[in-house]
Amino acid sequence: MNVIETKNIVYEYPDGTKALKDVNFTAEEGKIIALLGPNGAGKSTLFLHFNGILEPSSGEVLVNGESIGYEKKELMKVRQKVGIVFQNPDDQLFAPTVMEDVAFGPMNMDLPEEEVKKRVKSALKRVGMTGFEKKPPHHLSGGQKKRVAIAGILAMHPEIMVLDEPTSGLDPRGASQIMKLLYDLNKEGMTIIISTHDVDLVPIYASKIYILSHGSIIKEGSPQTVFNDVETIRAADLRLPRITHLMEILNKEDHILFGEPYPLTIGEARRRIRQKAQD
Amino acid sequence: MSMFETTLDGYAHSNGLRDVNTYYKVFFAICTMLVSLVSQSPVVPLLIFGIVTALIIFKAKISSKFYLKFMAVPFIFALINFIFMAIFFGVGKPLLELGIFNLAVTVDGFNLGFLLLARIMGGFSCLAFLALTIPMTELFSVFEDMKIPQIVIELAMLMYRYIFLFLDEVLTMYHSQETKLGYSSYRKSYKSLGMLASNLFIKTWMKGEQVYVAMQSRCYDGSIKTMSETGTIRNIGARNLILLAVFEVVLSVGTYLTGSLSIF
Ligand SMILES: Nc1ncnc2c1ncn2[C@@H]1O[C@H](COP(=O)(O)OP(=O)(O)OP(=O)(O)O)[C@@H](O)[C@H]1O
Ligand SMILES: [Mg+2]
Repeated sequence: MNVIETKNIVYEYPDGTKALKDVNFTAEEGKIIALLGPNGAGKSTLFLHFNGILEPSSGEVLVNGESIGYEKKELMKVRQKVGIVFQNPDDQLFAPTVMEDVAFGPMNMDLPEEEVKKRVKSALKRVGMTGFEKKPPHHLSGGQKKRVAIAGILAMHPEIMVLDEPTSGLDPRGASQIMKLLYDLNKEGMTIIISTHDVDLVPIYASKIYILSHGSIIKEGSPQTVFNDVETIRAADLRLPRITHLMEILNKEDHILFGEPYPLTIGEARRRIRQKAQD
Repeated sequence: MSMFETTLDGYAHSNGLRDVNTYYKVFFAICTMLVSLVSQSPVVPLLIFGIVTALIIFKAKISSKFYLKFMAVPFIFALINFIFMAIFFGVGKPLLELGIFNLAVTVDGFNLGFLLLARIMGGFSCLAFLALTIPMTELFSVFEDMKIPQIVIELAMLMYRYIFLFLDEVLTMYHSQETKLGYSSYRKSYKSLGMLASNLFIKTWMKGEQVYVAMQSRCYDGSIKTMSETGTIRNIGARNLILLAVFEVVLSVGTYLTGSLSIF
């Protein structure tokens, strides 16, 4: 089933910028979907349509097969189902302490206080921020802020989690920790949608990739399909994963081929190299 | 970063009196401030200033340099106030002829000015005590318990958070302007500062907008609901309460006894 689906949505900002042109995007239940695109492609704009913050100029957005209604009550329901973690954690963390910030969403859902406390505790544990409850956000590092922002959404128990560049600004270890967390959440049944520039991490986790460029989806499919289309990737100012690039060079310059399509991850490359060495 | 406000916040989160009951500290500061403000003679406010300063520096272990900086602004304000009062206020007999424009320092002007100076310093030391020993976040819970209207607390919460973002923004822009030699001459400084101010206004506006969107995404419906805290408020203890009461009574009696006392 498609938990999120956009049908031919067009969005124009009040100043006339056409940020989205006829976008068809679907997210299947229980998958990790990655949205790739250069700066200014319209990734953040598209995400804001998923929980009804922005209403498309034309076209429609479906959540769990139902068209989003833009009245307050309907929106509240949609926003409980679809949690968005914003690109810049400073935009998201507003409360004086970590605990109050994470509690903000669940409190808005009118849950009993006991339940809120339980959720805050387990969400902070999940992102590895136990012990920071009383800290004000400005005493946290960038990576820590990002995790607290994720905890704030986790505590609302959404069915679908949308993350706008969850790994930007994180050190390599922090980035893979976050991706690991998302992977685990996905294993538990949560649908995850991320936007990113990090083409090395994407093929490890995502089962479907969309490429957005100048407001249009120019390619979609499995990581293998998408990264095979090198022209489109480069036309969208993106690049191949490093390991794939290496394989491409080895093939084209040195005529050493480890089989096609080129491997996208280190694990796959290793398998192919070992195989070749044994032959 | 040696930003003034960051240091202030840092002290509030880690000082020698951090673990003392928040209510106790708030009561102490507010009662003492009130006594200082109603006192009719400068003796008690100066005494309060001395005691609270000692508490801040020796008990809370705040660096005296930082405390001096903190008190410099109110002190200068109080001093100017004092000088003006002494010269322009009051009609009593002249204490000192200035020799220009027939100006003179009068006795009641001097006394009143000095009383104000003492009150300001006494009161401000209590404020400093509040600001330096209690984290804002805990003050908010005290406010809530005191039944201060929700809207005021919400505003204060958001302001507290955004002061730091705002300062970061200012600092980043200022440094980038400095890097581009924006403050190399008087005229350039003037222009750079103007640009900084107007840019800041726009940026803050945009930021506010983004925050609102992020809050909406978490089902914000116009009021921030906060959890009630339990277990964080330690018992003040009868001994401490009595100590506080005795201290305030002694001060109050002091203001009564010294009510007619003045320097001249
Ligand atoms: N509030 C706004 N008003 C007008 N135009 C906007 C606004 N926000 C974004 N845009 C424009 O819409 C387009 C898409 O912006 P968007 O923020 O969605 O890009 P993005 O893919 O998220 O980029 P990035 O990777 O830099 O975050 C850009 O051309 C941008 O200039
Ligand atoms: Mg973006």
